[in-house]
Amino acid sequence: MSFKLNSSVPTDREVVLGILNNSEEALNKLYAGYYPMVLQFILNNNGDEDDAKDVYQEAIIVLYNKIKTGNFELSSKLKTYIYSVSRRIWLKKLAQHSKKTNNIADFEGVLVVDEDVEQREQKDLQFDKMKVALESLGEPCKTIIQDFYINSLSMQDICEKFGYTNTDNAKTQKYKCLQRLKKLFFQS
Amino acid sequence: MRNEIELEAIIEDYLNGKLTADEQKAFEQLRNNDPIVDHKVVAHKVFLESMKQYADVLLLKQQLDAAHDKIDVAAISAKVGPHPSKIVRLFRNNKSAIAVAASFLILAMIMLYSIQSQTKQEGNMELLAGKVSELKGSQDNIIRTINNNPRNRATESLPAKFGGTGFAISSNGYILTSYHVINGKGSISVQNSKGEIFKVVRYYTDPINDIAILKISDAAFENLGALPYSIKKGSAGIGDAVYTLGYPKDDVVLGDGYVSSKTGLNGDTIAYQVAIPVNPGNSGGPLLDNSGNIVGVINGKESKTDGAAFAVKSKYIMEALNAIPQDSLSRRVAYGKRSSLQGLKRNKQVQKIQDYVFMIKVY
Repeated sequence: MSFKLNSSVPTDREVVLGILNNSEEALNKLYAGYYPMVLQFILNNNGDEDDAKDVYQEAIIVLYNKIKTGNFELSSKLKTYIYSVSRRIWLKKLAQHSKKTNNIADFEGVLVVDEDVEQREQKDLQFDKMKVALESLGEPCKTIIQDFYINSLSMQDICEKFGYTNTDNAKTQKYKCLQRLKKLFFQS
Repeated sequence: MRNEIELEAIIEDYLNGKLTADEQKAFEQLRNNDPIVDHKVVAHKVFLESMKQYADVLLLKQQLDAAHDKIDVAAISAKVGPHPSKIVRLFRNNKSAIAVAASFLILAMIMLYSIQSQTKQEGNMELLAGKVSELKGSQDNIIRTINNNPRNRATESLPAKFGGTGFAISSNGYILTSYHVINGKGSISVQNSKGEIFKVVRYYTDPINDIAILKISDAAFENLGALPYSIKKGSAGIGDAVYTLGYPKDDVVLGDGYVSSKTGLNGDTIAYQVAIPVNPGNSGGPLLDNSGNIVGVINGKESKTDGAAFAVKSKYIMEALNAIPQDSLSRRVAYGKRSSLQGLKRNKQVQKIQDYVFMIKVY
């Protein structure tokens, strides 16, 4: 293809080290670096820009988790890896929507990444489960739980934010919310 | 209710490692004693882990979305998206196929060209092969022009004009060689590996198969004894290792190679093509396989290709042998039998054979 990735593509080493150090800048660079490649692949294979975004973000998450768990060896180029994972995810999505999958136009070499993608799918199920449980929790429970567990606010902060008269009341409320959420999460 | 809330708080602190050592010890005691508490701990642990993963992914997705917003998607997609023109898209999508097709085309053209030039070569060859009967100046047939052989002078007043190779087919002095070696008017003699020269006469000729049989008519000739080799029944296969002994010079020379084709020049079924280095003077030499069976008679090489020699198949040797009166041959060469050379190493085989291979001299 005539299109070339722009020069701002970070080196593979830079990316791996950046992710291990939780560097947001490295993540941004990584994201911007390989997006055109995946966009090109999706657009040329029955997808649109939104599909490309979803698939690409999934692929980045797969890579991110793999690096974080220390399982990532630089045996292949990051570019090839990201391409292969995106390709695998997109082929699965195409198959799910029974769009035609023959004649995939490839732009890179492909690695076998089925295992990584499947692991990610398992985790994604968990993620969706939690998301659904939180959604069905309703307010103010959802926000209390999110503030406490995700945004790491203290019970004191939550008490003030929601205007509870004392932290004990807030704690009771949080406890009730948590019981309901657990029920929803474990039952679904 | 209050207790439940307290318990939950303790479990969470316990899982997050926020309890003091004493509290932790006390709680573990409680956990051990109370299965309900234990179950709650485990369940809460799973929940907390799921929650943490959820939070991590959520944060990551937020970061990715932020990164995504910085990208000018429309501009890139205009660049990399499918081209509106169908032809360009077809070309882009099938680039590799087009590349393969193009290389095939080029390859085919190269092959066509080389085949054409090869046929031209073979045309030349055919012309040369036609000159076989003329003998003189023939490059194709490997007859050696002998100039001033000093050893000759002892017995012959004239130096030999042409040379070839032959081998014994019976112990009483019948020698087989290529017809084109002895074709001509001159007298013939043979010289063995010890340098002894005997006069011979033409006994049988088969110009079509390029085979001739000579008979030693010299009184000095002694019986050769049992022949070590036999003639191979059936044909040799491509890749069979073969070797030949011949006289491209005054001493016997070993040539080593393999059968490279079951047909000779231009698909000639009388001969094999063998990849063996041969030179003028090798004509008429025996072509033997590793078991000491004669599979053919060297009779020519392609003038323009290196390592492509030809040998008349052993079947035609047998035809020649069967065409002459059988009682004239004493202890003739065996056919289709196990040769006494079988199992011997190449150097031992050569040692045994060389007394039965002769230089043919034509004056």
